[in-house]
Amino acid sequence: MPKDPFKTRLEIAKSKISKKNLYNKKDNPSSIGTAFKLSTELVSAVAVGTIIGFIFDKTFGTKPWFILIFFFVGVVAGIYNVIKSAKKYAKIDSFYGSKSDDPIQCL
Amino acid sequence: MAANPMTQFNVYRIGPEIKLGAFDISFTNASLFMIISTLAILIIFNLGSKKNSILPNKIQLLAELSYTFVSKMISDTAGLKAKPYFAFIFSLFMFVLFCNMFGMIPYTFTVTSHIIVTFVLAAFIFIGVTVIGFIKHGFGYLKLFVPSGVPAVLLPLIVVIEIISYLSRPVSLSVRLFANMMAGHTMMKVFGGFVISLGIVGGWLPLSFSVALTGLEILVAFLQAYVFAILTCIYLNDALNLHH
Repeated sequence: MPKDPFKTRLEIAKSKISKKNLYNKKDNPSSIGTAFKLSTELVSAVAVGTIIGFIFDKTFGTKPWFILIFFFVGVVAGIYNVIKSAKKYAKIDSFYGSKSDDPIQCL
Repeated sequence: MAANPMTQFNVYRIGPEIKLGAFDISFTNASLFMIISTLAILIIFNLGSKKNSILPNKIQLLAELSYTFVSKMISDTAGLKAKPYFAFIFSLFMFVLFCNMFGMIPYTFTVTSHIIVTFVLAAFIFIGVTVIGFIKHGFGYLKLFVPSGVPAVLLPLIVVIEIISYLSRPVSLSVRLFANMMAGHTMMKVFGGFVISLGIVGGWLPLSFSVALTGLEILVAFLQAYVFAILTCIYLNDALNLHH
């Protein structure tokens, strides 16, 4: 017997685990999680932008202006959020040999 | 018959009124169910880790499966650097999961269907992650708000957008969990009300909907706990491995 069979098995398992850590993920169940994430991401950024605008208006007494500006900045931030997380997801996907000329990736 | 589907979310006092200065810190049904979930977690994991048999019994299997599930989730999303934060993420996941699942039992109270609970959790995560980021990277953590390869003209706008998107994290984290739990439970109550009001003739359709919704709600209860934990991991990953 050249080697302890348990030890070889342990080594194989260990190398599998380290490989998984290296390439982040393939068999992840978080696809539904990502979908859930995207929807609220958009809304919350708009809300936060509006709240910041409201606070600025209250402190500086410039009633409608900051709320107007920051509402639209919030909308932009929300869309930016969605694109960012979609891009992150597409990057992981393309690493595993799916379409690399993905439209989201080109952004 | 409770006609109003929102009465299930009422918080009421159990026992005497306790005041701490201007704050009302009385024991409520919300605190009761938080304590019940915490105790359930403690009991299950104590029983599960007491006897380390090679052939695990059911409780040990449950404890070990959830341990490997969370540990895999952390190493998948945040890498090996996030290992020290395992205890925090594990307890967070378990707390949210048990609160959600206890809410699925009839006549119980769903703690996570209140935005104040989920927002406190999310705010602590947000503050904690920000503090960790500043400890690990110093003021270099502010580079998170300045993406590379942006023209100087656009930079002020981009920084403002990045800050808003960073500040929106706790909001989106808390609103997602709270909205999913509240909407689901309200919907279940509404369909339950239809069963009563349509009687034995027409009540079968909403009853079958109710059964299907219960299954869906159990999925959502698990999934939202998972999403909550995985987003914590992602935020932690941003704080630990700063790359833009």
